[in-house]
Parts: sequence; C-alpha cells; structure tokens
Amino acid sequence: MFRRLKAVLAAALLCGSAAVYAHNYHMGLADISYNPNTGNTEIVHSYTAHDVEALLMNLYQRQFDLGLEEDQAVLRRYIEKQFTLNSGGKTLRLQWIGVSASADNVTIYQEIEKTQLAPGTVLRNNVLTDFLPTQVNTVNIASSVDGRAAQTLIFKVPQIEQALP
Amino acid sequence: MKKLINWGQTPIILAALAPGLAFADDPFIQRVLIDGSRATQLGIADSAAAGTVTQRQLQDRTNYRPGELLEATPGLIVSQHSGEGKANQFYLRGFNLDHGTDLRTAVDEMPVNQRSHAHGQGWTDLNFLIPELSARLDYKKGPYSASEGDFASAGATAITYANRLTQGIASATAGQNGFARALLADSPELGKGNLLYAVEAMHNDGPFTHGDNYRKLNAVLRYSEGYANNGFSVAAMAYRGNWNSTDQIPMRAVNNGTLGRFDAIDNTDGGEARRFSLSGIWRQTTQETASKISAYVIANRLKLFSNFTYVQDDPENGDQFAQPDRRVTSGLNASHSWHWHEGDRASVTTVGMQVQNDNIFNGLYKTKARQVLSTTREDHIVETSTSAYVENSTRWTPVFRTNAGLRADHYRFDVARIGRKDDTLLSPSISIVLGPWAQTEFYINAGNGFHSNDARGVLDADNPATPLARSRGQELGVRSEWVPGLQSSLSLYKLDFDSELVFIGDAGNTEASRPSRRYGVEFSNYWKPLKWLSVDADLAFARGRYRDEDPAGDRIPGAIEGVGQLAVTVAPSGPWSGSLRMRYFGPRPLVEDNSVRSRGTRTVNGRIGYRISKRTHIELEGFNPTNRRDSAIEYYYASRLSGEAEPVDDIHFHPIESRTFRLTLNTAF
Repeated sequence: MFRRLKAVLAAALLCGSAAVYAHNYHMGLADISYNPNTGNTEIVHSYTAHDVEALLMNLYQRQFDLGLEEDQAVLRRYIEKQFTLNSGGKTLRLQWIGVSASADNVTIYQEIEKTQLAPGTVLRNNVLTDFLPTQVNTVNIASSVDGRAAQTLIFKVPQIEQALP
Repeated sequence: MKKLINWGQTPIILAALAPGLAFADDPFIQRVLIDGSRATQLGIADSAAAGTVTQRQLQDRTNYRPGELLEATPGLIVSQHSGEGKANQFYLRGFNLDHGTDLRTAVDEMPVNQRSHAHGQGWTDLNFLIPELSARLDYKKGPYSASEGDFASAGATAITYANRLTQGIASATAGQNGFARALLADSPELGKGNLLYAVEAMHNDGPFTHGDNYRKLNAVLRYSEGYANNGFSVAAMAYRGNWNSTDQIPMRAVNNGTLGRFDAIDNTDGGEARRFSLSGIWRQTTQETASKISAYVIANRLKLFSNFTYVQDDPENGDQFAQPDRRVTSGLNASHSWHWHEGDRASVTTVGMQVQNDNIFNGLYKTKARQVLSTTREDHIVETSTSAYVENSTRWTPVFRTNAGLRADHYRFDVARIGRKDDTLLSPSISIVLGPWAQTEFYINAGNGFHSNDARGVLDADNPATPLARSRGQELGVRSEWVPGLQSSLSLYKLDFDSELVFIGDAGNTEASRPSRRYGVEFSNYWKPLKWLSVDADLAFARGRYRDEDPAGDRIPGAIEGVGQLAVTVAPSGPWSGSLRMRYFGPRPLVEDNSVRSRGTRTVNGRIGYRISKRTHIELEGFNPTNRRDSAIEYYYASRLSGEAEPVDDIHFHPIESRTFRLTLNTAF
C-alpha cells in the first residue's frame, strides 16, 4: 500500500513537473528506502511513459507493449544496466520485482534482499540521461533507522554517479 | 509482495501533443502500448489510408513468400506470376501494379523499385527481405506526402530493419514441395555499439511439375551506435537466388487436358538474381531540430528467361527471351526538421533532398534454352534524379491540423547511342485533419504524384513516353476509435493518371499507356475485443477507367476492383497461439472492352504455434488448406502452342500454391 502511495505521489510529481517545464525537461524519480519489516531495501522508479516509449523505440525501432512480459524484460535489461549500486567495490544485486505502466507513467519496482545500504554506497543513475541530454533524475533516499537523515540527490549529465549518504 | 502489479484495463489516451515531448522529428509520437493494444494513429497520421504496422503484427502474419509482408498494408495484395525468385506481382487501389509500377517500396531508406528495368518499370524484388529483422512497416496510400516521390501514387511502403534484436534468433523450417529454410540472427554488443548479423538459406520447389528449385542465400551485417534518432548505422546486405520458372500457361491447354495446372511449357525458363548493398544512416536530434542523412550503393544483377507466347513468333526455336539487367544504384537522402511549440500549437517544418543515380546495362535477347540466338536490343542507361521537398505539419488547435508540402523532381534520362532527355515536375500536396471528436478524426487530402517512365520509352523516336507521368489524387477519410477495442478507417478517393503503366503480357514488358481515372473506397478495421483476440477486416473497391476516347474500350486491363481480407489472431496467455487469414481479390477486366474478365481469387492460410519453453516455440503454417484451384494472375493475349496452326487468343494464368504445410522450430538465445 505504501509503495502504491509512493508511486502515485511520484506520478503526480512527474505530471506536475512535465507541465511546468513544458517540453524542455524530462524527469525521473527514484525512491530508495529501507523496510525494517522485511529487511529489504526497496527502490521505486517512476518515468514518463512517453520518454520510455521513445527510448525503446529508438533502441529497437519497434513498438513495445509493456503489458507483455517479454517486452518488460527488455526494459529490465536497460534499467539494470543504467541504474547500479556499488558498495565496497561490489555491485549490489537489485532484484527486479516488476513494472506497471499507464498511459502517463512507467513505474519500476526493485529491491535488495536483506540489505540496508551502507553509507557511501555509490549510485550510478544513467536512466534516460544517455538518451535525453536534458533528463533530470531525482533520487530520494529515505531517512534510515540508524539516524541518517532523508536526502535528495539530482542526477543529470554529466553527474550520473554519486555517493549516497 | 512479489505480485505488485494490477494491470486492469488501463485505457490508452489520445496521442494529443504531449507536454513531455522532446524530439523535433517525432512531434506526434505514439503513447506507450499497454495490454496488447495497437498504436493509435489518431493525432499522428495525415490520412485515413496511412499507418504503421508493428513488429508483433508483422510476426503474427503467415507469409508464403517474404514480399507478402507488405500485405499488412490494408488492401494490398502480393502475388507471383512466375518462379519464386522473380519480383512479386502487386495489386493496390484499383491497380494491377505488375512488379511495382506505382507502389514505392523502401527497405532501410534504400529504394527497392528499379527504374528503367529490363522486365518491368519499378521492378520490386523483395526476396532479399528477412521478415524477422523487420521492426516496422509504414504505409501511405495516395500521393499526399512530399517526402515520397517516384512510384508512390497508389502507395508507399517502408520497412525498417532493427539496429538490434532483443534476443538472438535461430529458426529452422521444413515444408512440403521441397521447402526448407534456416535463419540465424543476433546483435551482440561490439565496441560502443551493436553488430547485427543475419544469415538465411532457403529452398523451395513450389507445387510445380518442374520444380522451381529456388535456392536463396541471404545475409545482413550491420553495425550501429547510439539510438536511432541520435546515432548511426552502416549495413552490408548480400542476396543471391537461382530458380526455374513456371510461367503463365494457356487455359485452353488445361481445359483440354494437354497440360496440368502446375505444368510448364518451357522448362528452361527461370533466372538468377544478385543484390549487394552498402548503406548508412546517420541521425541527430535535439530539442528543436532533427537531421537525417542516409546514403546507399546497391548492385543488382538479374538474368531472366521467359516465354509467354511459346512458339508463336518462332515455331522452330520457340519464343523464349532474356531480359538481363545489371545496375549500380547510388543515392543520398538528407533532411532537416525544425520543431516549434507554443501552447496548443506545434509545428514541424522539414526540408529534404534526394539524389539517385542508376547506371544500368540491360537488354532484350531472343534465346533458346537460355542460349542467346539474337539481340533485339542492348542499352546502357544512366538515369539521374535530384529531388527537393519542403513539408510543414502544424497543429493549429487541438482539433485542427494541416500538412502541406511541395516537392520538385528533376530527372535526366540518358540512353547511350540514342539520346538524352530532361524533365522536371512540381508536386504539391495538402492534408487537413479535423478532430478528434469522440476519438474520431476526419481527413481531407489532395496531392500530385508521378511515376517515371522507362528511359528507353522516353527516348523512343516514334512514340516517346511522357518522362514523368503526373497523377492527381483527392481523398476524404475518417478514422475512428470511438468503439472501445475497434480501430476503423474509411477512405473515398479519386486518382487521375496522365499515363497508365500497363503490363503487356505477350511482350513481357510494361508500356506507358492512356490517361486513367480511378474512384475507390477502402474500409479497414482492427478489432481487439479481448486481450488475446484480434480481428482484421479490410474491404476495398475501385473503379478504374481510361479517360480518353478509344474504340478499343475504356477498361484498364488487369485493374483490380474488389479486394477483401479477414484475419483472426488468437494469442492467449498459455502456450498455444494461432491465426487464420482469408483474402480475396475479385474479377477484373483483362481487355479494354471488358469482354474477357478474370476470375476472382480466394486464399486461406493460417498457423498454429505452441510455446515449448520460454525460448523455444514450434509453429505449423498451412497455405491453401482447402486446395482451391485459383489463379495468382490471369492475362488475356494470343499465344501458340506447338501443334497449333495459328495463334489463339486465350486467358493465361499462373496458379496459386497448392495445399502446403510448413513446420518451424524457433529458438531465442
């Protein structure tokens, strides 16, 4: 339920942003939070459906149907290549939970099982920034149980790699 | 927790100008597809008779031959009147297009139509096409686009090959009548880009007594970097085919039992084709502009041996003739677009240029068993065209769009030892789009198009053909998605030609002919009532007449009238899938006075697929399962068989395939 709420909020923010910036900016959101109940770190991304459609179309020159598992797998391959977390020289394994698509937004769910991100974990977020030079990806890192404050990081060209708090 | 997603029945909203838009060349881009829906053309297409066919829809089709991929264009029929290696026979919008006279076809920005071809103007040999690499097919019927030029009056189709495949493909097919095909394709990463490769081998005899023994080898190698709209690709393609032909045979011989439907009269008819190409595409897109440059060099070689009249002209040696054609086609297409956007208004202006040069050596020889007896003519033709166009698409209000264009074409026809001729033509076009209201758009289109005539005909001293034959089209259309799950379009059109291109059956060539007028109606429907079920239903009717007075009559020989297609595709979530497709093309006049008409042709084909695993599926295709004895083509002219004292006027036909099954094993890797 919480995830859904976050996804809806993210979608609402995205729509608002897009409307404000007309066609000059392209926005992405990712929320990273630790779920103490499951012990997992959860990541919810939200991107404009239009931008994802254009991305896939220009990669493979064909229409994609994000209602189909095989086409979701293509998006997964792209996201897993462009959005990586590295801690202590090791790439963390992000488990793909799923994707939901509406006519306006594409929401992607990932999690890292039984892991809380260590301070200084490096996020490389090149989602859509390789395709749209004006893409701005906002990453919200929720406050953690060990007292680290919530923080928002902005990823855009050329800054696509940053250490998390 | 793992099952987060509740798809529901999310409706697709209209492709109204999206605020998040980025690409100057894609102002009216499709919205994301969900749950097997088909991309809407509302807000995108400029006429009811234009559209895009997705890769998935192309894959759902059952093709007896690769050229049939073009039949995804509503109302278009692709057939064959000879050996399988020969260019296909096309019908569209009331035309018998012979081998592609007024249907412009491009693969990866390379023109496929060959002008001033030895056998037929606009020769469109699509046997090098690999359906699995085809990412999309775009079609525009009618001469309403400034970016399309020669041969595009009935329509233009463009196939785009993918730069990358989502997964590698290994496919093997075995079928009746000596059919076998193997395909291997993948696109591994290489350096900063991807290297796509595809290798195809095929053999087919067809149902003929003297089998086609069609042997095909085909390969594509392409390196690409970046995205299609911001990147480049270079491609090399190679195709070779060898075949025997069973050309059309006279009905009288079949009726009296001297010939079987699949018998040949001259067993040495046939041919060889080679096609090699090098091409590249570069595109750069920013917020405000888009640039595209594509260049190509294509080497085509054809040896073609035909005998359509048997022993009429030469009772001793027979009437076989050869029409070899070898050419190098080189060209460059460049365009630049500016995008402007303010509030509800958005506009894209594109200027483009196209240059094409054909260096052609072709001829006509009298032959016996593929050995030359005498030379009728040999020509060296250099045909050069330079074209420029400007096109503006503007959305003035949310319910009012226009597309206006102007195109200029300059042609130079140079036939060695005969002469040289130049011609220039201006072709304006305009489209007005009203709507959408209730998910329904209305279209008004008008435009001029043309086809070039064969250089040898243009420079004919006695009866010169018009170098560039003008066409004028007008159209009213409506497209609606008001009923959920149903996409329908209706077009009413009129198309005038200053000079018709007609196939002369006994001469084995196309000739510039009389002025013509066509009225037509096309009704296309795509209905997806359930997520796993889709139905295509297309109906088209055209009335074509010559416009001038001639005692011979005003009918256009071969001009198609009624066309229909019904296809049902079933793709449930389980392992099974299938499709069934019926198509019909009706009787048509074979002579000017309409005293002889062809019969109608009905074909049925289908497939059943079973997914063995995530990566492997097996598919059974069936063609003509009821074994109908229809014709792929019928002509009416005089011929003489050995033993006949005089030439006899008769219908000559080529049969559709007999009942044929093919089994394919596909593996993704």
